[in-house]
Amino acid sequence: MSQVKIRRRVSSRFLASEVRLIAVRRRNQAGLAALAAVPVVIAIAMKVAAPDRTGRGQGGGPDFFSQILSNGFFVALAGIGVELTLFLPIAIAMLAGDAVAGEANQGTLRYLLTVPVGRIRLLAVKYAGIVMGAFLAPLVVATSGILAGLLLFGGGDVTTLSGTSISFGAGLLRLLGVCLYLGVCLTALGAVGLFLSTLTEQPMGATIALTMLTVASFVLGQIPQLDWLHPYLLTQHWQDFGELLRDPVSLSALQPGLLTAGAYIAVFLCAAWARFAGRDITS
Amino acid sequence: MSGVFRSRPALRWLVPTAAAVVVIGGGAAAGTIAASADPTLPERSAAQLLVDVQSAKVDGLSGTVVQTADLGLPALPGVTGGSGSGADLMKLVSGSNTARVWYAGEDKVRLALLGTLGETDVIRNGTDVWTWRSSDNSAVHAKIPADALTKKDKALPAGVPQTPQEAADAALAAVGPSTAVTTTGAAKVAGRDAYELVLTPKDAASLVGQVRLAIDGEKHIPLGVDVYAKGVDTPALRIAFQQVSFETPDPEQFVFTPPAGTKVTEPSTAELEKQHGSLGDKAAADAKAKGEGTKVVGEGWTSVLVATLPKEDGGSTAGKGADTAQLDAITNSLPKVSGTWGSGRLLQSALFSALLTDDGRVLVGAVAPEKLYEAAGK
Repeated sequence: MSQVKIRRRVSSRFLASEVRLIAVRRRNQAGLAALAAVPVVIAIAMKVAAPDRTGRGQGGGPDFFSQILSNGFFVALAGIGVELTLFLPIAIAMLAGDAVAGEANQGTLRYLLTVPVGRIRLLAVKYAGIVMGAFLAPLVVATSGILAGLLLFGGGDVTTLSGTSISFGAGLLRLLGVCLYLGVCLTALGAVGLFLSTLTEQPMGATIALTMLTVASFVLGQIPQLDWLHPYLLTQHWQDFGELLRDPVSLSALQPGLLTAGAYIAVFLCAAWARFAGRDITS
Repeated sequence: MSGVFRSRPALRWLVPTAAAVVVIGGGAAAGTIAASADPTLPERSAAQLLVDVQSAKVDGLSGTVVQTADLGLPALPGVTGGSGSGADLMKLVSGSNTARVWYAGEDKVRLALLGTLGETDVIRNGTDVWTWRSSDNSAVHAKIPADALTKKDKALPAGVPQTPQEAADAALAAVGPSTAVTTTGAAKVAGRDAYELVLTPKDAASLVGQVRLAIDGEKHIPLGVDVYAKGVDTPALRIAFQQVSFETPDPEQFVFTPPAGTKVTEPSTAELEKQHGSLGDKAAADAKAKGEGTKVVGEGWTSVLVATLPKEDGGSTAGKGADTAQLDAITNSLPKVSGTWGSGRLLQSALFSALLTDDGRVLVGAVAPEKLYEAAGK
């Protein structure tokens, strides 16, 4: 009984130290700041440019941009829409690439494994750090977008994609749902990143590989001739977060995205274990 | 277990491989099992089913309809790939569209065509018809006079059938001496047991191989329509419920209040007619062509629609000009054909052929090109 207790305490300490390490790393702080800056830039640009209202909806611009002027809420959605294809995946790629390869590169991996820490537990703690980052990143974008939007454009009732109005509070709840959904999507990306990170001792290599995979996945998803491949692509259902902005919300429409994410997590965590548990640690 | 992995580390890779196989295979198997599950329904003949469908009546339903098309069209400039209206058009002929429908009697209908981060809604509540487009935050509000209700119903299904019911009605209208109607074993659509009605054209010249209607075993409304081209195993066109519920939807679903900041236009009835015509370029062209005089050559499945193209007039706007340019580009990419009937360009797909003659006629039919040449010579 007492043994179990000791084990638990040790485990939470390892996790806490990992989280602390991630949080104090300068590049992670800079990355979060960059994520938060994008919605602010969008808000300021829209405020300064302020296209005349008669021209609205003609060319459109990216999704949600046309609605920013009337409601600051949409700064957050516009920010998420813009960052989803590159910025958010890069943030996860940085975190995941660092996970194992970073330790190996600094030569700390073998010391980490000399203390009585099982390899599976090491992977689990590393992945837990990635998962936290995956959920935090979209929340940071949304929060900064909401704040910038409220400050520059004010709030008000939110128009759903179906043309109904919901209160600002209900809108925030939907936005939270969007962040959680994207958190799950990015968690799956993080699982792939963790696997890549066990393959190399160069964290940059894993980061770049994961970013390229994401971009390739998006590009393949755009090619209609490859529609047989689309259901298997990791990024295919990321844009489904829009389902949460319809009225009524159909939660079953989110199912394919969540199932895809779950499948990727299962396969690539197994692969990361297969690679890492049997690997000779020399650095 | 772990001993094996320790002595033979390569065996560890069996675990992720097995996981991948289970995940991919599991997804595929779930589909096949659902499709092959043989529901037990009381026997019904084809004729009984036809009557069932025509007399079917539901008080309300809601569900998700998916339309997929794989017409085997050649690559066309500006239509295949690209963005904007071209991409929308492309989605209609090769790709899939998802719509959510709510129905609570003839005068309470809502259809929401889902885009990736957008939505187009058509909502009818009594005499009010609202069209909402999230892409440009605009709404169109039309009022239909009570006596025009029946006429209105006819105007809606211009172009591609919107619901399985409409598609089935169109197919059933073609049933007659020209068609062999049979039933196969039962099918499962949207998780519901369904009868399957197979319509096979008797005329060998038709490109349509089969039309399969899935009819709900309990409510008798069509749940799905598959159109197969001759000699092809996968449907060229498919409209089916992905999910359906027969509970009458909440009346709130049909109430539309334009949100603040929406551009609302309220066209008069005459303008409304025009609006419906210009929903799609093709529909507009069809409507115009109808005015110029169209005729149908042949009958049944092999009938050929012959239309005369409207002459270019100066009344076209700038936007129309761009469309025309795109249309010209498409026309010029089609192969040239000629014969005793004259010459023109031919568009061939698995399910239909279209001939654009140099003297300004358009011939369309679900037939091989030879049949079109024959009609053009008349």
